Amino acid sequence: MILRRLQYEMAGHAGLALIRFQDWQKARSRNKGKGKGKPSLFGPPLECLGKLKEMMSLHYLQGRYADGAVPVAWVTSGFPVEILRPLGFHTLYPENHAAMCGALRLVPQLSDSAEQEGYSRDLCSYARTDFGCGLLHTTPVGRLPKPDLLACSNNICQTVLYWYKALAAHYNVPLVLIDTPFVYGEAKPHHVQYVRTQLEELVSVAERVSGRRMNYDELSAIMVRSREGSRLWGECLAKAKAKPAPWTGIDGFFHMGPIVALRGSEECNAYYRMLRDELQDRVNRGIGGILNEKHRLLWDNLPMWFATREISTLLAERGFSFACTSYTNAWAEAAGKISPADPIGSAAHACMHIILNQDLCNRLGILTRLARDYSCDGAVLHSDRSCKPYSVGQIDLKERLTKEMGLKVLLLESDHNDPRSWASEPGANRLSAFMESFA
Amino acid sequence: MTYNAGTISRSAYALRQREEFGRRCLAVLPIYYPKELLTAFDILTMELWGPPGAPCGDAAGRIQTYVCAVARNAIAFLQSGKAEVVDGVLIPHTCDSLQGLAALLMDFGGWSKKVFVFQHPRGVGRASAKACLEQELRALAGELEEWTGKRLDPERLTWALALHRKIEAYRATLLDQRELCPLNEVELYALLRRGEWLWPEEHLEELRRAVQGLAPVPVQKGIPIMVTGYLPEPSGLLAALTDAGAYIAGDDYAAVGRRVGREANGAPADPWTGLTERYFAVAPCPTRNVVTGNRMQYLESLAKSSGARGVLVHVQKFCEPELFDIPGIRKLFAASGIPVLVVEGELELAISGQTETRLAAFIEMLRTAGRPS
Amino acid sequence: MSVVALGIDVGSTTCKAVAVDGQGCILARRLEPANPRIEQQAERILQELRAETGSAPPVGATGYGRKRVAASRVLTEITCHARGAFALTHRPGVLVDIGGQDTKVIQIGGNGEVLDFTMNDKCAAGTGRFLETILARLAVPLSEAAEYASRASHPILVSSTCTVFAESEVISMVAAGEPLEGIVKGLHTALASRVSSLTRARAGGEIFMSGGVALNAAMVVALSESLGKPVLVMPDAQFVGAIGAALYAMA
Repeated sequence: MILRRLQYEMAGHAGLALIRFQDWQKARSRNKGKGKGKPSLFGPPLECLGKLKEMMSLHYLQGRYADGAVPVAWVTSGFPVEILRPLGFHTLYPENHAAMCGALRLVPQLSDSAEQEGYSRDLCSYARTDFGCGLLHTTPVGRLPKPDLLACSNNICQTVLYWYKALAAHYNVPLVLIDTPFVYGEAKPHHVQYVRTQLEELVSVAERVSGRRMNYDELSAIMVRSREGSRLWGECLAKAKAKPAPWTGIDGFFHMGPIVALRGSEECNAYYRMLRDELQDRVNRGIGGILNEKHRLLWDNLPMWFATREISTLLAERGFSFACTSYTNAWAEAAGKISPADPIGSAAHACMHIILNQDLCNRLGILTRLARDYSCDGAVLHSDRSCKPYSVGQIDLKERLTKEMGLKVLLLESDHNDPRSWASEPGANRLSAFMESFA
Repeated sequence: MTYNAGTISRSAYALRQREEFGRRCLAVLPIYYPKELLTAFDILTMELWGPPGAPCGDAAGRIQTYVCAVARNAIAFLQSGKAEVVDGVLIPHTCDSLQGLAALLMDFGGWSKKVFVFQHPRGVGRASAKACLEQELRALAGELEEWTGKRLDPERLTWALALHRKIEAYRATLLDQRELCPLNEVELYALLRRGEWLWPEEHLEELRRAVQGLAPVPVQKGIPIMVTGYLPEPSGLLAALTDAGAYIAGDDYAAVGRRVGREANGAPADPWTGLTERYFAVAPCPTRNVVTGNRMQYLESLAKSSGARGVLVHVQKFCEPELFDIPGIRKLFAASGIPVLVVEGELELAISGQTETRLAAFIEMLRTAGRPS
Repeated sequence: MSVVALGIDVGSTTCKAVAVDGQGCILARRLEPANPRIEQQAERILQELRAETGSAPPVGATGYGRKRVAASRVLTEITCHARGAFALTHRPGVLVDIGGQDTKVIQIGGNGEVLDFTMNDKCAAGTGRFLETILARLAVPLSEAAEYASRASHPILVSSTCTVFAESEVISMVAAGEPLEGIVKGLHTALASRVSSLTRARAGGEIFMSGGVALNAAMVVALSESLGKPVLVMPDAQFVGAIGAALYAMA
């Protein structure tokens, strides 16, 4: 009964994007539309997608009743959220929420209200989306819990500082900052110490806001689960090394939700076990994410949340798909860096060493390794105008990937969340021309 | 005074400094860097704000067009060979764009000489930030010792701190008492901006003369405005303000007024403490601070103390730290009835007719508002 | 004729000039495409007005080329449009002036003074140029645009923010068989939405419209729909700036 009522709620709100995605997946496996009799381009939709939808919907549903009941923290995607979990925080990821709005094509309207307020269109489209939701008091998930704490780490970018600063002024709540100095080469000892000290300070602030004391045993247990979650996510991604890949990099963007927003929980890990097993089953049976896999590509940078279907289809029509992405891979990297015996120290190490906080040599190494391990013959570098830390350097990376790995590389200018920055026709032309160059 | 003329004289100046005094020259990207430390090492610093204009040369397209011109132009300039006169470059971690610039130069080449980074902490007022900054300064000093082959003499650092304190004091006087200064905007800012590349002792001298030249009574008769932004470039914008009958009574340009050191408690005895504390003794800046309230409070009090009748927000295109604060600034001054004009620059060489019209219209509007009806 | 002043608005697309009486009523006028030789054109036009009205009163100049005119009073088109509109309406409000290359939104106070203003930034997509360019591509004369738009049952919306991309988007729509009337109406809607977002919540005041684009009835309708309130088109819509300049020359 309860589940049914929850499912009813889901249909109206958080599940909407995923339901649409699922519907699309169902539709694409049927003969449908103008080309009757034309075979589908894609493999059957993943069974576990329903479970994913449920999990994320429940998370947002819970959120609706969270404020007042439990301490609520709004968190950046690279923040060492494990430290907040033993203190009972309900965590919300504005980036994840913004991505959902992006996929639902709500951003132009949301951004307009932020722009009316005076925010430039040149600012990060996630931030504009978030501000727009706040200004219009609207969200596709029904209601967002108000934060008691804003938890910000600039390991992903400096933009989150400016964004969260505005949120702190608006909500008048404490902002805790984990300032992670960029790693040029090797992390400097005093930088590592700085991050450690800030994490210790974080514990004090979070204890004060939550009214609880940190339980370090529980923290270690959560770190174990977090590490396992990251490892399992990595296993899921690695299934795409098979030929044909049982799922595409774009599918991966949608399955990222748990490792980002529910990291450290047992349900997150259970989900990825389920997903891993289903993917392995597909590998065993030779079922591909696309049916006619001819070319395997690497995607770099954030996805274009509003155009995933458009791009997947365009590519699948010619037998192209993304076998791997540097973005989804980022959440698998943490596994090797977490050491539950030293939660604060390893959290410091892990959050300093994410892809976006390390130099271009490291970035090139990751791209090269992915391209090689996933047998890619090409790459699309999404030149995301909203994401400077990810995009600056891509012109050089393109050259090097071409020279050093013999990959065909396309630099595609767009934005991760704002469809007004994607010139659909010229963009599709460029992708088509790129694919033709493989002939 | 076009930039080209300045560049040539800057190069010649750097060469002369090397020949006459044996000083090395370091190109420095904006905004915050320990100039005192570099002075103590007898290094001439030459700030690299662009240069303005369209980026030229092979590296003109190395950074995407949606990134600010400071980063785009800098990489083109450094790679073009036009910066041969400098011996190295120092890049503070001001923002994501400069982060990427440093990574490109260090990892993927285009610049054969030394690259230093200076990673200042974000968020002011935390003991951890102070401790990290001191270590960062010491680490940089170590790298500079290796590079120059000289050990840093603590007395030299003390001397440099004293020198730069004097400079800041004169700069503060000129800015705080703008209405007493007979120089027009173009002249005043040319003087202040020479501090970006002159050897500090020379800059001190010209500042001293300018302060001595202050009139006993106000000589600036135009409409006083406050400017907040990044860089007073192009000088054509300053000329347009003068033409329209306005002057900058309150300066919150990151390149100028915002980073004037104002130490409340006088100089600490230990030079390392002094160097560390000076970093925190400047006005709030969105590239470093995470509490909006501090910046808004500061801007409000600057507008009040300067008697500004209007606020000009002069922001560079794609500059996220500045752009994020615009709604807050608008709200702040709407509450006190002070009109705000936002002008977006792109490190262009000359302002457009439209920008000139906007500035003129804004000043016309302020003039009418000031009249009793 | 009791000509009290001349006003000239040297715009980037057109040059407008008026001779006015003490209340700012137009006694004689000129409108020509702008000539790059600004000084010569301005002087010739002013001479013609002097000859026609048999007068040599003070001159106020405004517009892009205002500094090149021999005038006793030189002010920006923002200030002059506010004054000119006030002379016509005698009340405060928000003036929306969509020109060929430029769009201005001016908040006018109770004395005809400028309280606040915004201008479209650099981009053609928020100006008359947007419509001109794309309509030309569709071979729809600008003079017939309103009629086309009025025949449409609903606007076919363009999503591109850039004139160049919008143009190719529109071509695709035509190729796909979308009705021209709907496309034309959609273009007006797009321009109106860009202009109305410039007003930035200044919708508290009465809305007035001036400039060449105000002569396009479809644009007036589209702007009114976008703002959700009626829009009053200024009489002598293209001369509002020149009238204001003349009034300032009188003072």
